[in-house]
Amino acid sequence: MTASPSASSPVQRAPGPAPAANAVIAVDDMRRTFTTGRRRRRRTIEAVRGITFTVARGERLAFIGPNGAGKSTSIKMLTGLLRPSAGSVRVLGLEPWSQRRALSRRIGTLFGQRSLLWPELPARTSLATLGAIHGLDRPGLGRRITELGELLEATELLDRPVRTLSLGQRMRCELAAALLHRPDLLFLDEPTIGLDLLAKQRFREVLVRLNTEHSTTVFLTSHDVADIEHVAERAVIVNHGTVIHDSPVASLRRTLLTTKRIEVGLARAQTVADVRAALGPDIGPVMALGDRPADDGMPVDGIAIGVDTRRQAIGAVLDRVLRHLAVADVSVADPPLEAVIGEIYTRPAATAPAVVQSLRDGPS
Amino acid sequence: MTAPTTTDGRPNPTRGLGAIWFQVAHSAASSARLQPAALVHTGVHYLIVAVAITTLWTRAADGHSGTIVGYRAGALVWYLAATEVTAIAPPLRLIDRFGADVASGRFELELLRPAPALWVRVAAEIGTSLPRTAVCATVGAGLALVIGGAPETPVALVLVGPALLLGVALTIVAQHLLAAATFWLLDSRTSWFLYQKLQFTLGGLVLPLEVLPGSLGRIARLTPFAAMSYAPGRLASGHLEPGWLLAQVAWLAVLGLVTARVFAAGERHLGDGGAS
Ligand SMILES: Nc1ncnc2c1ncn2[C@@H]1O[C@H](COP(=O)(O)OP(=O)(O)OP(=O)(O)O)[C@@H](O)[C@H]1O
Ligand SMILES: [Mg+2]
Repeated sequence: MTASPSASSPVQRAPGPAPAANAVIAVDDMRRTFTTGRRRRRRTIEAVRGITFTVARGERLAFIGPNGAGKSTSIKMLTGLLRPSAGSVRVLGLEPWSQRRALSRRIGTLFGQRSLLWPELPARTSLATLGAIHGLDRPGLGRRITELGELLEATELLDRPVRTLSLGQRMRCELAAALLHRPDLLFLDEPTIGLDLLAKQRFREVLVRLNTEHSTTVFLTSHDVADIEHVAERAVIVNHGTVIHDSPVASLRRTLLTTKRIEVGLARAQTVADVRAALGPDIGPVMALGDRPADDGMPVDGIAIGVDTRRQAIGAVLDRVLRHLAVADVSVADPPLEAVIGEIYTRPAATAPAVVQSLRDGPS
Repeated sequence: MTAPTTTDGRPNPTRGLGAIWFQVAHSAASSARLQPAALVHTGVHYLIVAVAITTLWTRAADGHSGTIVGYRAGALVWYLAATEVTAIAPPLRLIDRFGADVASGRFELELLRPAPALWVRVAAEIGTSLPRTAVCATVGAGLALVIGGAPETPVALVLVGPALLLGVALTIVAQHLLAAATFWLLDSRTSWFLYQKLQFTLGGLVLPLEVLPGSLGRIARLTPFAAMSYAPGRLASGHLEPGWLLAQVAWLAVLGLVTARVFAAGERHLGDGGAS
């Protein structure tokens, strides 16, 4: 394949609305380079190499990618903390870099690894100060803090000094700070990092609830696939500073899945080698099921077959299985979403656009 | 859990920076007031330093027929009691804390607010130092009455209160100005060292500026450090020189503007990728 990683790499797009007036985020060919070191040691890092996408009001979007893909750099440009090296960025109709202060009235931000609250003070005091900065009047502010305390189940936590809170408790207070001024758009950079299973679940529920009840647009990065599955409706995958995939989360599996796994319960025990011989030489990897070694030469009563759906139709393989083996039971399974995403991450930079292209042309 | 309501108003974007400033300062002042242990600590710290330095110089004055560089022992005690307030009452380690906040990225997040980060920080630091200033000034006045006796010109004392507040505000702004070096150097320790030495000598913290030889003393008086510390000391020692208040206000305006400009440049530098 000869596709080059050019600026306008072909990317699968969600079949959603075209960039319209209701776009809360409109990014066109956003780029950012960093130069580090001095003189001879000088190096240029292309952290973001031409990102284009739009986000409509009320969307819940996961912006995912491996470490160093350019997610945080992108969020910083979207919030106005970093100046893009090139390209156009519009958030809520504003240019973040030059209109950061105006934008800050309407967006909420939460960075999982950083705290906005003063550690020595109770969160309530920090919230009061933040409220003052946002120009909330005192009675309104009091009501809002009570309301957020209830929403986040953090009412009792608000009166303890922040440094005495556990991470999960503190994150609830941090979220309260991010929501204090009722933002239309919420940027969350790895908000669930370090939270336990339950805390993550509650956090996700709150995000979905904010979105459904207040149409708050949610823009989230995370390395936790469950965050993506349970919060986001749409996934934008970036790697090496470019968007390599953009689709509804529901269709991620379907469009990106190139392998399936057929599990067969055998009516009569057979060795793996016999199974392989029966199915023919072009069959995918065959291994013993359960905790048996993949193939120890002993007869087994269950096997799994990996199918590369780009090369073989799943129906054809099933057909052969049913014809040549004494089948007691059969099932076809998808690999978990984690494996799908992991597979995308490992693609090298230069081939990423080409792979997207082939996916588009191939079966889906 | 009850569903949140959207009935009450959104933030008011027209709310003035002045109102924000006072609310932030007030909120910081109230939380500082709610930490009595910290205030006691400040008072004791002040007392130890002030007692040490005043006894030192009153002893020395005794050996110099009761005056040192034109100040009689009693006036010197009032002078030192006032100047030390401007050294002890401002929040501690401001430059270090600021440097750490820039390095950790915390400061960056403060840029995602509708009011300038410097404005809010200065308001919070001044708010925090208000109760501290009150404590130190009260302890100082008591100490001066006991060791130094009644003030020579009680009218001048009326001006000491505002002069102390302006002096403390000036130290806070000046420290932010020096702390801004962090934007480019990622290290604020030199700034802190420099600041301390300058306030110490040019501010007249150990002895009135009259002790400096000839032109050096005149130059020192023209610096913001004199407006910070020497000014309230001068008024407290019985010199009815209201011009010092004007000098303080002028310096506050100048340093405030310069610091705001430097911060704007520093924030742009952060947005361009920061120190590298
Ligand atoms: N201030 C900076 N100076 C130099 N290089 C930077 C700077 N900020 C980010 N980078 C580089 O840009 C690239 C993208 O970084 P970024 O933080 O956006 O990644 P990320 O997708 O958020 O990764 P992670 O999942 O690890 O948080 C990385 O190679 C990083 O080293
Ligand atoms: Mg990141």
